[in-house]
Order: sequence, then C-alpha cells, then structure tokens
Amino acid sequence: MKKLGSESLADLSIGAVFLATGGGGDPYVAELITKAALDKSGPVDLIDPDDLADDAFIVALGGVGAPTVSLELLPSINDAVDTLRAFEDRFGKKIDAVVSFEVGGANSLIPIIAAAGMGIPVVDGDGMGRALPEAQMMTYPIYGVLPTPAVTTDYRGGITEFHTKNILEFEPEIRQCALSSGGMITSAEHPMTGKQLKASIVPRTITFSVELGRILREGRGKAHRIFEPLQTLFANSIYGSVHHLYTGKVVDSSTKIIGGYDIGEATIASFDGSGPPLKISIKNEYLLAMINDVTVASVPDLITVLDYETSTPINAERLRFGQRVTVYGIGCPAFYRTEKALNFVAPRCFGFDFDYQPIESLISSASPT
Amino acid sequence: MRIGIDVGGTHTDAVLVDGDNVISSTKALTSADVTSGILEALESILSDSGVQEDSIEAVMLGTTQFTNAVIERKKLSEVAAIRIGLPSGAGLPPKIGWPEDISRSLGDHGYMVHGGTLYDGRPVAELDWSEINKVIADIKSKNLNTVAISAAFSPMTPQPELDVAAQLRREIPGVNITCSHSLGRLGLLERENAALLNASLLKLADSVVSAFADALRQRGLKCRFFVSQNDGTLMDAEFVRQFPALTFASGPTNSLRGACKLTGLNDAIVVDLGGTTADIGILQGGFPRESNIVIDVGGVRTNFRMPDILSLGLGGGSLVTDEGRSIGPKSVGHNLVTQGLAFGGSVLTATDLLVAAGRATVGPNQCPVTLPPQTIENGLNTIASMLNNGIEKMMPSSDPMPVILVGGGAILVADKLEVASKMYCPKHSGVANAIGAAIAQIGGEVESLVCYQDMPREQAIKKMSDEAISTAINAGANPKTIRIADIEETTISYMAEGTTRLRIKAVGDIPSQGKGASV
Repeated sequence: MKKLGSESLADLSIGAVFLATGGGGDPYVAELITKAALDKSGPVDLIDPDDLADDAFIVALGGVGAPTVSLELLPSINDAVDTLRAFEDRFGKKIDAVVSFEVGGANSLIPIIAAAGMGIPVVDGDGMGRALPEAQMMTYPIYGVLPTPAVTTDYRGGITEFHTKNILEFEPEIRQCALSSGGMITSAEHPMTGKQLKASIVPRTITFSVELGRILREGRGKAHRIFEPLQTLFANSIYGSVHHLYTGKVVDSSTKIIGGYDIGEATIASFDGSGPPLKISIKNEYLLAMINDVTVASVPDLITVLDYETSTPINAERLRFGQRVTVYGIGCPAFYRTEKALNFVAPRCFGFDFDYQPIESLISSASPT
Repeated sequence: MRIGIDVGGTHTDAVLVDGDNVISSTKALTSADVTSGILEALESILSDSGVQEDSIEAVMLGTTQFTNAVIERKKLSEVAAIRIGLPSGAGLPPKIGWPEDISRSLGDHGYMVHGGTLYDGRPVAELDWSEINKVIADIKSKNLNTVAISAAFSPMTPQPELDVAAQLRREIPGVNITCSHSLGRLGLLERENAALLNASLLKLADSVVSAFADALRQRGLKCRFFVSQNDGTLMDAEFVRQFPALTFASGPTNSLRGACKLTGLNDAIVVDLGGTTADIGILQGGFPRESNIVIDVGGVRTNFRMPDILSLGLGGGSLVTDEGRSIGPKSVGHNLVTQGLAFGGSVLTATDLLVAAGRATVGPNQCPVTLPPQTIENGLNTIASMLNNGIEKMMPSSDPMPVILVGGGAILVADKLEVASKMYCPKHSGVANAIGAAIAQIGGEVESLVCYQDMPREQAIKKMSDEAISTAINAGANPKTIRIADIEETTISYMAEGTTRLRIKAVGDIPSQGKGASV
C-alpha cells in the first residue's frame, strides 16, 4: 500500500489549489495541523479504491462552514478523529477507511488527519475531483449514496446527529448547524460500502495532486513552459485534456457576497490589447470562461488561473487587477459528464442559461488565442 | 519648524521643514551605532540652515532598527506566549511554523489555556483561573518578565486577554505585556505572531527611545519627538515603548507620504527608485494603500498593517545585459558611484543608459558614456516596459493615474510612462522619506466583524468611527483635527448575509502641547 507522509504535504496542497479551480480557501492552517498529526503518527496508508473490499465501511469527512472563521476559531488536532469516533459510537459501526469531500483547501487534508489519529487508511480519491460550492454536487450523493446517518462535531466537541431523507434536506440543515456552532464544524457523512465508493469516487486524486504539485514546484517559471508537462500528466489521468484558454492581464475583477457565496466576474485582456478579452464568471470557483460572449469552457470542466510569471495557481479571492495570468481549461472526470451528474453540476445549476458542452468541442469552434 | 529623520539600511536622511517649505536636507551614511549617524544628519541640517534649536517644535523619526533586529535575530528578548482559545486550536501551539532560529531566540515558553470568544461574542469556554494561575506560576519560576497574550476573536472581544493581563500584573509586578487585540486584525495565528515579535522588541524599544532622546538632548533639542509607523501615522515615545513592531515597513510608507506632501496629490501612484529596486505603491486619500495579504517578517507570518508595495529589480545601479534587452535584478547598489561607467567605473548600469542618451548627467566628473544607439533604445524601452507593467499590476482600475517619481534613481525615467495620466518628479524627491516622517499625523484604527442585519450599516460605522477617534486621541492626536481617513468593508463568504469585516481609521495632527516625550 502507498504511504503518505508530511514531506508530501506542500506538493499536495499546491496541487489541490490548482484542481480547486479558484475555490477551497487557503490551506495554511490545515497544513500545519496535518503536519503535526503526521509527525506524531508517521506516514498514513493511502489506499487505492480498487484495493478496498466491497463490504468495507467508509465515511466521508470534511469541514462545513465559513473558512474565514477558522482563522480565529482554530481547528484542533482532535476534531477529525473525534468526529469519526462519534460516528462509530453513535451508529455502532467500525470505520475501515476515510475519504475526502473535495480537492482544495482544508478539505483535502482533514481525512489525512483522521487517518493518522485512527490508524486507518485514507482513500486515494475524493467526491469532486475539484472544488464545488454545495454538498449535492459531490459524486457520492449523485451516485445515490445517502448523506445520513451523519454526525458533526463543533469546536467544543458538541455532537449533532443528522437523519435526513436526502441530500437536498441535508445541505441546508448542516449549514444552519455550522452557523449556530461558531461558524465551522467537522462532518462525518455519506457512509458507504467499498462497492458504492468504487462506483462513485473520483479516484486517485491525492496521488495526482501530489504529482501535480511537484510539477508546479519543479517547473516554477513562466506558465507556457509548464504546459507540456501538464499535458503529459493529465493525458494519463481520470481528467480530460488540458487546453490553453488565454494568457493576458486582469483588467477587471470584482466579487461580492450574494446568499453567502462569493459571486463575481473577472476580465482578462491580452498583453498587447489585441483581440477580444476572456471573461470568467465566479461563484466561489471559476465556473465559466467566455470570449466574445462565446463559451470556451464551463463547469463541470475545470478552469484554473495561474500566475503567468511563476505558474502558481491563484484562488478567486486573490485575483486582482493587473495580474498577468495564464488560464487553462481541463476536461472534468467522466463521471461529471453523465446525464445523472449534469442534473447537479451543469451550468444551469449555477444560474447560467445554457447547456453544458464539453471543453474539447468548444475549443475547436471558438479558437482562443 | 519640524525635523524629519529616516534611518534606512544604507542612508540616514534628514530634512528641516517649515510648514510646506523644505528649509534644508541631507543624506548621510547610516552608522553602525545608528545614533552618531543621526547626530551627523542633525548637525548638517541645523548648521546648514542656521536655524536655532529652540525653534524646532518636533522631531519625527523613521527607523528600520526594529525590523533589522527581527531579520538578524539580534537583541530579541525571551517571551512567554499565552493563548486563550482551548478547546479550539489544540495541536497548534504558539510559534508553530516559525523558522527554528528565531523561535529559539524567543525561548520555549508557549502556553494554551481555555477561553476566548466566538464570532458572535459567545465564549468558546469560560476562563479557568486555576489553569491560568498555574501558567503564571510557571512563568514566574522561569524569571520571565515579558509575555504575549492572544485569544480567539480578541479584536472583537478583548476582555479575556485583558483579564489574564491584569492577573499577570498582580502576580508579576513590572511584567511587560503585549496583548494581541492591541495589534488588531483577524487571523489568530498571525496576530499572535505579531504580539510575540512586538513583545520580544520591548526591551530594545526602551533603549532605542532613550538613545534617541539622549541624541536630541546632546544636540540641544528640547522639543518632543515621535516615531513613524507603517500606516503613515506617528507614535509618541511612550507608544513606541509599547508597540515597537508597528515601525515595520515605515520606510516605504514615509516615501509615499512624502510624495503626497511634495505634490499635493492624494490619489496617485508613487515609484520610489533606489539603487537596486523600484518600489511601487499607491496613495489613496493621502495614505498608502495597505496590503491585504499575509506579511512575512523575518520568516514569521504576521498580519501587520503594511503598505502594499511591489518591488521590481530595477534601480540606478541595475546591471544592463543583452544589449539593453535585460536590466537587473543584479545591481552594483551603492557602489554605483565607483563602478558605473558614468562615474569612471567599468560596469554598464541603468544610469549609464540615461547618461549615454544625453538625458542625465551624474557624478562629480561627468564622465561621458558612449553606447551603441540600439543598446540605448532597447534599454530605455526595457526600463519603460518594466515600470509600465509593474505600475499596471498595482493600479486599482484601468483608468490612468498620476505617477510621482521619488528617490535617487528617479532620473531613470526619461519620458512619460504610458500608464500615467501625468508624471511628477518634485524637487527634494531624493529625501521624500524623511519629508514623509516630518509631516506624519497620529492615527487610530479599529476592526470588527459586524452583521448589518443586527446593526444597520450607518449605526455600525458611526459606533466604530467613534472608537477609532478615541484610539487616535489616546495615541496623542489633537481632538480638534481628527477626521476619519479610511473605511474598509469586506464581506465574508458562507456566513449570514450582511456579515462584513469593517475597518475604520481616524487621523489627527500632533497637538501643539501634546503628550509626546519631553527631553
């Protein structure tokens, strides 16, 4: 079985920021606490989904709430383990492995902290293969895994049980719970069998994030130089191919909070001002890229923005006027292109008035610079 | 009349100003002991102008001594850190993530106790006095007398920090304390780090303030003196003794403020061109725009109020290569005056391009510089495009703004930059930083997370403006001149609608009979 130790954390974090397509938040504090946990326990087992027994029992674990709150109400090294133990106690089930909600920010790392503390493996994969703003957009519920029974713990160890009919009932309830428990809670949810997990997970994204982070670190420099290594890496992955969407400078960027989400738009113009600009729509993540009002990439495909000089991925809240950036579009994992998944993650689910078209079919017709 | 002094790594600049007029200015080398360099600069401007010592109303000092102490890990005290936040944050002890050398300089004295508050003011846990008294007893047994205290959400609810500080003072008379809430800003780890660095500098602050007071006395100056801080306002001597870390990055701030004074422009881009770098900053309402990202001081993450500065590797001493197509980041620095072609040396620097183009004359001998016309053209284009690109990164919108050039390297800019609506290169721009120190005001700032659904926006702003004004008055500002300089609102995602981080800054003039240090 593969091992994951603290020496891989920096690469994992930066790779996860790339795949989080602008969302997920700053992983700094989570990285510190994960390092502390791994330094104590030694490397954790990273289990490939295919190696899980069909009757293994797995729970998804992560943080729910406002990432800004965690800057003051710091996470504790025990939060992750306490939540899994509470789940085991409440429902009398032994958890065999733990898996992540999404790639990006703290949620890539919380299952690793739990695995370190419990002495169980963390599953190599997650429920999004990227970051998305709402729980029903995870592959687990889309496939049909029920979100509950679930438990959450808050900063003082307070435990809340959830029993809901489906994900659409669960999502507002857990968000309300987070607000009244100091703003941030840890949730153990979507209990599933090995068989269910294998059918619904976006596989091997932890290994992939580490590898991606390594390439970004070693290839630090102008973004066009990293294009070929990225193409090679993504060609051998569960993702589609990488497309260069645009290189230029941010000439306008504004976001505002609507209904708890960071909503906004960024405009990127070419360095010499020639040709039409690229416009990106944001709802926590980069969701839609257009040139001349023609879509060149849209959710659930990945849109990622890199600093042009250093190839460092830039979160949406850090994007600002004058930055020189390169924008890449990447085909999403095949699961998200099924009709069932598109009911939850298509552009219309984010308020855009058009149907999803895969990036590779858009690129040929729009021919971006 | 006022004197402004800026102590930098290389130069100690001083100016004597009378209202809006610069009477005298000087650039001296910074001495190893700092004080003798200051005395030399004072001597130069006073004898040069013939002004009597008793007509000087105040002296303002900008200094890098505290920044350097942190960067060099020298003269730092050992500090006990008490964080009030358990059960949250277990496993993330104070100083986590610090470079080992500076962590060692402050000693291994981190403590975590229960308490602190949530974003809505409810307690995370009640203070446990038997737990706290045990910590205090341990600090006492180690003979430590410097303590930094932090607590979850203390910028909004400082009481837990204040309670623990009061108990410490009862138990350890004469203890030096820095509470994190007095350094503002949300972000517990960064604010705690700021409090720790500040506490470690308290003893040094005491000796720096005393040495400066002595220097003024030696020169026969009996006026009050102030020290400039990183947001372009001043601290009186008593305040510096408590908050020396607030001087971090006061240098770039002073040059921005000086540029504002020299041109009368409140909203502009300022490019400070030195020997090695071009530092680009933004004036907003007469003050530097502040950075909203985490600031690293000597390898430690902090959330100090710092001006948002973009440094480019382009200065008067930058090396020119590839027939002018590439300039910097390597530079001969202050050796320009011996190594540059225009000074009779053998190194092709950015300054030489301008001399060869006939756009500038430098040095006592004014050595002629001959370069291929293509190199000159390439070089001037490279300088312009580096500055244009850098300025564009900093501009708040695509509307062209006025650009003010200051610093010794300002001659590098021969023509109007594309991104500028207008260019300014005012007289005395070489000592803009000392002028910035001389004209600084006294400020007060408060920050809080507010919900406009609970308290209407106007009411919240009014309440916090009043708090900012009283903070400024407590710091020594004249109540009659106080105004609100800045209101910043940042909305918070995934929280109830209308939840906003609100930051308000008030500034005022130095009173004619204020509470500055008498010497």
